[in-house]
Order: sequence, then C-alpha cells, then structure tokens
Amino acid sequence: MDNLIVQMINENQETLKNNWLDEVNIFKEKELVAASTTMKLSEETDQQFFELLIKHINYHDISKDGTLDQFFDQVLHTGLPLSYLTQGLQAARRVIVNFLVERISDKERLITIYREIDTWLDPILNRVVENSSQIWERTVSIQKTALLELTAPLIPVFQNISVMPLIGSIDTERAKLIMENLLNGVIKYRSEVVLIDITGVPVVDTMVAHHIIQAADAVRLLGSKCILVGIRPEIAQTIVSLGIDLSLFPTKSSLQKGMESALEYTNQKLVSNK
Amino acid sequence: MDIQSCVEVRNEWDIVSARQLGRNMAKELGFGNVDQARITTAISELARNIYLYAGKGKICIEPIDQLGKKGLRIIAIDNGPGIREIRKVMQDGYTTSGGLGAGLPGVKRLMDEFSIESTVDVGTEISATKWLR
Amino acid sequence: MRIPILKLHEYLLITIQVEMDDQTALQFQEDLLNKIHDTGAKGVVIDLTSVDMIDSFIAKVLGDVVRMSKLMGAQVVLTGIQPAVAITLIDLGISMREVSTALDLEQGLDKLRLELEG
Repeated sequence: MDNLIVQMINENQETLKNNWLDEVNIFKEKELVAASTTMKLSEETDQQFFELLIKHINYHDISKDGTLDQFFDQVLHTGLPLSYLTQGLQAARRVIVNFLVERISDKERLITIYREIDTWLDPILNRVVENSSQIWERTVSIQKTALLELTAPLIPVFQNISVMPLIGSIDTERAKLIMENLLNGVIKYRSEVVLIDITGVPVVDTMVAHHIIQAADAVRLLGSKCILVGIRPEIAQTIVSLGIDLSLFPTKSSLQKGMESALEYTNQKLVSNK
Repeated sequence: MDIQSCVEVRNEWDIVSARQLGRNMAKELGFGNVDQARITTAISELARNIYLYAGKGKICIEPIDQLGKKGLRIIAIDNGPGIREIRKVMQDGYTTSGGLGAGLPGVKRLMDEFSIESTVDVGTEISATKWLR
Repeated sequence: MRIPILKLHEYLLITIQVEMDDQTALQFQEDLLNKIHDTGAKGVVIDLTSVDMIDSFIAKVLGDVVRMSKLMGAQVVLTGIQPAVAITLIDLGISMREVSTALDLEQGLDKLRLELEG
C-alpha cells in the first residue's frame, strides 16, 4: 500500500471520520428503526467500525486475524442488519476516494490508488458476507434440529391402543422420522389400534395430508387399525378436494370419540368404580 | 471396501445377488434397518428393470465420501433400447410392463438423489445415492 | 426352493423365512393355490415377520395370491410386515389396501375367524 496515502489518511482521520459518519447516518435514518437503544448502541459501534477500518489500512490486511470477525459477529448479534456493514464499507470507500481525488491531480496515480483501495476493502466485504451467511446457516440448522426433536413418540394408552399426537409443521424430513417412530412403536407396544391426533398440526396442505395418509397406510400394512382424530373443518375440506379415499381409516373429530371407537374395536370398555 | 463392486445382470438370480451385495455394503457403511431396506429395494427395482427391458446390463454399488458426508451410490447401466420419453416414464402411475415394477418414480422416492441418462437404441444409465443420516 | 405350507384345521399357515427370488415366489403362488384346492381351506395366514425386503415384484405376487385365493373361496391375511418393509412399500407407492393385514399369526387367525363368521 502506498505509504503516502496511508500517511494522508492518518493525518486526516477526523475529517474522514466525520464525512463517513455523515454518510452512515443518512443510511441509518433511512433504513434503521429509530429505537433509541439501537441508535445509542450503533453510535458506539460506528466508532469501533471506523477504528477498525483505520487499523486495517495501517496494518495492510487484518481480514484474517479475527478482529473483524469478532466485530461483525457482535454487530449482527445486536440486531443491526447486514446492510449496515456493507453500506458502511461502501461509504468508507466513497469517502476515502473523494478525499484523495480532491488532493491528487495526477490521473494515472488516481487510477492506481482507486485500484488499491479496492484491494483494501474487498477482503473485508467478502469476510462480512461469508461471516453472515455462516451465522445464517448455523441458525437454520439449529432450528431444524430443534424441530426434528419435537417428534412425538407413540404413547401406549390402554392395552392394544396407542396414541400419536402430531405437533407442529410436518415437512418431508420430519415426516420420515415420525413414520419410523410410529411404526417402531406399533411393533413395540403391539398396538391393535393407533390414534393419530392431528389437532396440533397448524397447516394441513396437500403435502402434509399426503404424509399423514402415508403414515396411516404404513400402520395398516403392519396390521394395526389407524384412526385419524382432530380433523378440523379446513382439513376435511383439503382431504375431500384432494380426492383421498379414507374409507380404510375412520376419522373422528376428537381424541375422545376416537378412543371410544378404539375401545369398542378392541372389545374393551371403561367401567366406572362408583 | 473403498472400491466399486459390480454385478452383471442377465437373469433373475442376478437380481438377488445385486440385492445382497447392496445390503451387505449398506450394513457395513452403517445404514440403519430402514435405509438398508430402501437401498436393497431400489437395487432390486433397478436390476429388475435391466432384466426386463434391456436383457442384460450391470449394477454397480460404491461407497462415497463427499467432504465428510458419507453415503452409497447405485449405478445401473445397460445397453438396451433406451427410454424414449424420460419425462413420461418418471410420472407416477406410468407402466409399460402391465403393473410389474413400481417404476422409476418409486426408486427416486426411496433414494436421496436420482439421475437418469438415456439414449434410444444406445442404452441407459441411472445413478441413485443415499446419504448416511 | 419351496416354501412349506402348514395346515391347521381349516386354515393354512405359511411363514416365509427366506429371501424370495422370483422363481420361489411364483412357485409359492402355485403351491398355495393347489393346497387351497386340495384341502378346501377357507383361510390363509401368510406371516412375513422374517422378510426384510419386499420389492414391487414380490408385492405383486402377494397381491395376486390374495386375489386368486379369494376366487377359490379362501380369505388371506398377511401378518408381521416389518416397519422397514412397510416404509419402502409406501415409498414405492404400494399401499396394498385390498389386502387384509394383522400384527402377528395369532391376530391373523383371530381376524380370519371374524371374517369367516361375519
């Protein structure tokens, strides 16, 4: 890096900082929700940001030593958007270039400097994007695991009767896990009847209805009777409009009714002790 | 077992050989019961297709490792008549053998990745992969 | 290789314990129908507990056997289908809804008794 330029930048830090802050504030006013805590936090962050940029210019390339990563992590975790970082970097580029253009008249030199500034700032920009997409992927993966862990076990309620309450949204991967749990449970508890309760499934679209029917078909193949309970009006509509034949799977509106049916089917009865 | 293992498919007993090869490899790689069944069934379907439509071909099974992600790949190759309309064949419910065979859509559902290349009068190559969970 | 068919009163019991190749499956179909004819059996239980794979061909043979047996006056129940097998059949799109199923041999016989009496 051009030492004269570095010197020029160091000598004029205050001016550069103020110009940069002006640009950043324009962006903040337009894009950030002006909650006072966020604004206060972000002022301190601005200072840190600028200091890091100066350090970067002086030490040539700090994109690999971890200070930048730490800073970006911190920023993204306080809820400031990714655009704060990318816009901040672009603003820095603009501000420095404008500053230098005003003071250097040699066109050739200016072009070289312009290119150099790109090589200073591009690594940081790349690091920001890489970093934030890693955080994103990590979050998605954690949420995915959490959802998979919500898989409900098959619950043996009475002799020969088990219940599987389905809770939450059911995507293809979760459906596979639920299916395995369900079938292994049927074998383990020797359930003659399985009640699949879908009360806790918020959305039953074509795909979900398909998964539920598949689960019911699989239970039937094993040799158990499957009763679907918790059918809300919207679900009934979806099933009918899909033309699905449920004649092999009785459905009941509530778990209670389904249980009565199951008890009847297995020749059992609840007797009161009064 | 790092290398590909292949079985020539010329008759019905080769279908059984291919299945057993697949099951053994799947077991060795650490696939659970359900995935072992999926892989074995997929191999059976693909081998049967070769036997029914091409007369002869081969099934190759190999363990794969892609950046730490481990799995198993089935490759079914034949120099048969080829498939004229791949899209039609990949549609559920389409069958040319009078109900025999659940068809390629079934194999696709059993496995995690599926690709098919076919040229009329030249042959067909199908590749299907299952990843270790 | 032939699959043994046992007679228990008016029922026929079969436990499939080997990996069936195509010929074995077709031979089994023939043997069963002959036995139904010879014994006049009214009910058949085919136990699949030891079967760890059913592909589309075997599924078709089993489905056919059920239909053919019915034509000859015998009800058939398939028992003991394993979870892994059920899952692969569902993946293949085969739900065999026209076939009666039960968890095990005992429940299979109970089911047959109900069907034949009812």
